Amino acid sequence: MTYDFSIVLGYWQALLQGLGLTLKLTLLCAAAGSALGFFVSLARVSSIKPLRWISTLYVEFFRGTPVLIQLFWFFFCLPIAIGTDISNFVAATLSLTLYTGAITSETFRASLKSIRKEEIDACIALGLSRISQVLYVILPQAILRAIPTLLSNFVSLFKESALVSAVGMADLMFVGQNISSNIARPVEVLTMVALIYFVVAFPLTRAVTVVERKMLAKLAI
Amino acid sequence: MLRAAAFARHLRSKEVVTTMNKIMSNKTATQEFATAGSQYKTAAAGVSGQPLVRISNLHKSYSPTVQVLKGLNLDMAAGERLVVIGPSGGGKSTLLRVMMGLEEVNSGSVNFAGQEYICADESKQKTKINLDVRKQIGMVFQHYTLFPHLTILQNLTLAPRKVRGESNASAEERGMALLTRFGLGAKANAYPNQLSGGQKQRVAIARALMLDPKLMLFDEVTSALDPELVAEVEQVIMQLAEQGMPMMIVTHDMWFAKNIASRVVFCAGGVVVEEGTPDEIFNAPKHERTREFLNRVFHI
Repeated sequence: MTYDFSIVLGYWQALLQGLGLTLKLTLLCAAAGSALGFFVSLARVSSIKPLRWISTLYVEFFRGTPVLIQLFWFFFCLPIAIGTDISNFVAATLSLTLYTGAITSETFRASLKSIRKEEIDACIALGLSRISQVLYVILPQAILRAIPTLLSNFVSLFKESALVSAVGMADLMFVGQNISSNIARPVEVLTMVALIYFVVAFPLTRAVTVVERKMLAKLAI
Repeated sequence: MLRAAAFARHLRSKEVVTTMNKIMSNKTATQEFATAGSQYKTAAAGVSGQPLVRISNLHKSYSPTVQVLKGLNLDMAAGERLVVIGPSGGGKSTLLRVMMGLEEVNSGSVNFAGQEYICADESKQKTKINLDVRKQIGMVFQHYTLFPHLTILQNLTLAPRKVRGESNASAEERGMALLTRFGLGAKANAYPNQLSGGQKQRVAIARALMLDPKLMLFDEVTSALDPELVAEVEQVIMQLAEQGMPMMIVTHDMWFAKNIASRVVFCAGGVVVEEGTPDEIFNAPKHERTREFLNRVFHI
């Protein structure tokens, strides 16, 4: 059997549209998820116990179950539970956002924890109020330190978003699968799809390394 | 340990020695020192007969079995440079941390310039702190505590801007002046990580001075430094001493203690065991525990 990769080029528009949806979903869930994760991480170190329990339960549940189940649950079960139909886009966005929220909250929590106790002593010795400590010393450092890990979280999200094809969303994975079964050329089409994922993800993973090195050199954090 | 100390001594520059000699010629007359062209004369210094700091009957324990302070009493007059020495775990650092409001106490109180500002509320098991009084005290720690995400100048201006509402321009002007005085003007826009340990500690001192403290606490500020960096930090403290800044210093560096102190306090087992002039403590200690400690430090 001979391979003809030029066949795939004929479908570039469809593939591009699929990639467009994948990117849209990734960006949306990365933004909403990390915002959610940030507040969840604060809840997890809060002095209010119920807030700590609820946020911990949420994080552990979403980290401890497969993303595919979460996606299916929001697509198949939630409409039954609330009695209204929801589109696959809403279900996918909801589940991936909640998943990303759980993952990034751990990233933020680790970076909050990494701030040395001595710096807080210095804040107190300088007379900074608790609010000033948080706003000008703790949060800026926590966010800076979280950036490299957050970027890796986003790369994972980009790859895991391929799961949404399972609920019929026309993302890159879904489009690729359809083309490959229509023209019976799985090797060419799926290889090309994998390459497209890689071409987008690789610069991002490289960026993580660069950002990490730059921050280390400058701030030692 | 001893070899490191000897090495440090060997490395000390002539400048430090000159500064020290200037101070030492003044040392016996502490009151004189405080009034002789002092830049840091405090309002408190004017009140006659009243100590600048009065520490009364401090008790602190981390658990029923671990008692760090066991009824510590100590007075400090205005213009004094008090050096606290003693074995590890003897309560020296805890004392400074209590004075800064960083540790709770079980009983006792601390007065500053006649005002009680730290006081154990035994019924509520809480320590009451009067922040307005405490803000007149500055502290520098053993470990570098500069904020790594801020430039050197921003490290200096953060507290004046946020605590006192000083304008950015005015804080930066004062900050630059201080940095220049400490020979760090060129580093204003660098980040802490780009500085040596000695430079970081000098910045930490400058940062505390930005709030115009009336008393400075130094908690083993040279203990974490490489031997060759100790002198530059001690020199800055010497400069401050020369200008009449009241200070309380906890140190393991006996050479430094001997030369900067107007009075030495030997602290062990959570109490003050003995106090006196550097000459009395180092050359004729009265107490057995003091002798034992000094023997161990000087004759290993």
